[in-house]
Amino acid sequence: MATIEIGRCGSTGVKRSKTTSKIISAAEAVATIVDGSNLTLGGFAHSLTPIAMVHEMIRQGKKDIDLTSMGECWAADFLAGAGALRRARLSNYMFEGYGRCLNFSRGVQEGRIQVEDYSHFGITSRLQAAALGVSYLPIKVMAGTDILNVKTFDEDKYKTVQCPFTDEEYVAVRSIQPDVAIIHASRADLSGNTQVFGASSIIEEQARAAKRVIVSVEEIVSSAEIMKKPESTILPSFMVDAVVEVPFGAHPGGMFRYYNQDDKHIGRYWEASRTPETFQEYLNEFVYGVQDLWGYLKKIGIRQLMTLRADPKLGY
Amino acid sequence: MATVEFTREELMAVAAAAEIRDSEVAIIGTGLPMIASYLAKRTHAPSASLFFESGIIDAFPRDLATGVGDFRLMSNCVKASGLYYALSLLQGGRVDLGFLGAAEVDQYGNINSTVIGNYIKPQVRLPGSGGANDIASLAKRVVIIVPHQLRKFPERVQYITTPGHLDGVGARERAGLRGAGPVRVVTNLAVMGFDDETKRMKLRSLHPGVSLDQVRENTGFELLVTEPIEETPAPTPEQLKLLREEIDPDGIYISKK
Repeated sequence: MATIEIGRCGSTGVKRSKTTSKIISAAEAVATIVDGSNLTLGGFAHSLTPIAMVHEMIRQGKKDIDLTSMGECWAADFLAGAGALRRARLSNYMFEGYGRCLNFSRGVQEGRIQVEDYSHFGITSRLQAAALGVSYLPIKVMAGTDILNVKTFDEDKYKTVQCPFTDEEYVAVRSIQPDVAIIHASRADLSGNTQVFGASSIIEEQARAAKRVIVSVEEIVSSAEIMKKPESTILPSFMVDAVVEVPFGAHPGGMFRYYNQDDKHIGRYWEASRTPETFQEYLNEFVYGVQDLWGYLKKIGIRQLMTLRADPKLGY
Repeated sequence: MATVEFTREELMAVAAAAEIRDSEVAIIGTGLPMIASYLAKRTHAPSASLFFESGIIDAFPRDLATGVGDFRLMSNCVKASGLYYALSLLQGGRVDLGFLGAAEVDQYGNINSTVIGNYIKPQVRLPGSGGANDIASLAKRVVIIVPHQLRKFPERVQYITTPGHLDGVGARERAGLRGAGPVRVVTNLAVMGFDDETKRMKLRSLHPGVSLDQVRENTGFELLVTEPIEETPAPTPEQLKLLREEIDPDGIYISKK
C-alpha cells in the first residue's frame, strides 16, 4: 500500500519505511468506503470507540450504511444522527449511565432505520462463522423468543437444524461477511500488527469476518515494542489492510491505559441528541466545523484532554 | 439484636446476594447485581467466580465500577478477554447463575427490553437484548432484579427479548433452551419464584412492612400466593456495614438513608 503524508503526528520517533507501511490518513481510509457498504465498527460501551473514523465518515457524507454490530452504540448513534444509517443488525445500543441511544431510537421510531435484533452471542456467532470460513454455526440462544419469531429484513437470519450425530436441535445462524471492519485499538506497528490493552469486545471476530480491515490506533510503535508484549496482539499484520494514527481517537470514549471516557462531553453529546436540531448543531460544531481530528481535539482543548489521562499504574 | 434501619435497595441487594452459592460461577451486570454479587463474595460465597459479559473475569476493583467494561474492573482482574469468550462460557455450560434487569417482565418471567409497540415502527425503541437472552437461555439459574411497578409487570410482555418460561411448563425444553430459566424475581416489595406446575410467578416472601395488597396493586397479573406468607429476612448489621462502608460507600447504587 502506498503511503502518503504521514508526518503529521510523527512524535513517536518511529522510522517509517515507505515500502512496508500500511499507514494512511483517516481521510484516505474513509475514502475507500463505498456508500451502502455493510460495515462493522468497534466499540464497547464508552471504550474502544472509533470516533475519529466515524467523524470522518460523516464529513465525507457516507450514506446508506448497513451496520453489522453487537453493542457499538457510539458508531450507530452518530451515523443515525447524521442520516447515514440505513439499517442495523444489533444486539444492544445503550449509552451506559445515560440511557437509550436517542438518534438511533428516533430513526427507528420514525421508520427511517430498519433493525434486526439479535442477542450478543447470536450476532457475534454470525461473524464467528465467517471468521471460521463456515457458512453457519449451530448455537443454543435466541430460541423461543421474538428475536427469532418476528420477521426482519434478513430472510436468512436463522434456521433450525438437527445435529447429525445426536439429533439435538440448534438454532443455525448464517455467516455474515461485512465489507469493512473499522476497529479502534491501542497501538500498532507500521505493518499493522495491532494490540489492545484490556478487554477486547468482539474485535477479533469482527476483523476476522470482514473482507477488509481498517485499524485506527492511539499510537504507532516499533515492531520491537509489539514483540515485547505479544500477548496483547489482537490482530497480526496480515489481518490488517490499513492503519490510521489517531491519538485520542476514541474521545469522548476512553482507551484503557491511555485515557478515561470524557463524562462531560458524553453528557453534552447525549443532551444534544435529544432533538434533530440540537444534534445538527453538535455536528456543525464538532464534526462539519473542523477539518480533521486535530481540529476536533483543539476544540475539546488540551486542558480537558490532559485531565482524562490514565494513571500508568492503574490504567485509568 | 437491636433493630437496624435499612433501605429497600439494601434489602434487594441482600436478597439477591442470597441467591449466589459459594464456589458458583455467576455472570453479572451493572448496578444492584454487581453490589449483590460483591456482597455475596464478601460474606457467604468467598469462592464464587464473578464475571462480566465484557470478558472481564474475577475483578477486584479498588472502586465501584459503573459499567461491565469499566476500566476499574480491567485494572485488577484475573482475565480480561472479550465478549465472545465470556458468552461462550455460557454455551459451554460453565455458568451457574445470571442476574438480569428488565424493562418489562411477565407472569412467566419473560423479559422485554426491545420495543414498546410495533417492532418495525415502534412507539419506543429500547436498547435490545445485549447478553440477556444468552444468559437466560443458558445459565443454569437466572435471578431477575426489577422495580415493582404495574407497567413493568404486564400479563404478557409486548416482545419476548429474553426467555423466561415462555408460555408455561415444558416450553423451554420444547424450544431447546438448556438452562432452568428464571428462579427468582427480586423487587423492592417482595421476592417471587415460579410455581413448579404452571411456571407462573409465585410470591415467596414480602419485604418487612410491605402488604400483599401493595404487591397486587403493582402487579399486572394474578400472582400465585400460598399461605402463610413469609417475610424476607432483614439485612444483618454485618451486611449493612459492608454495603455502606466498603462496597458502595458513595451510595451510587444504594441510596443512603
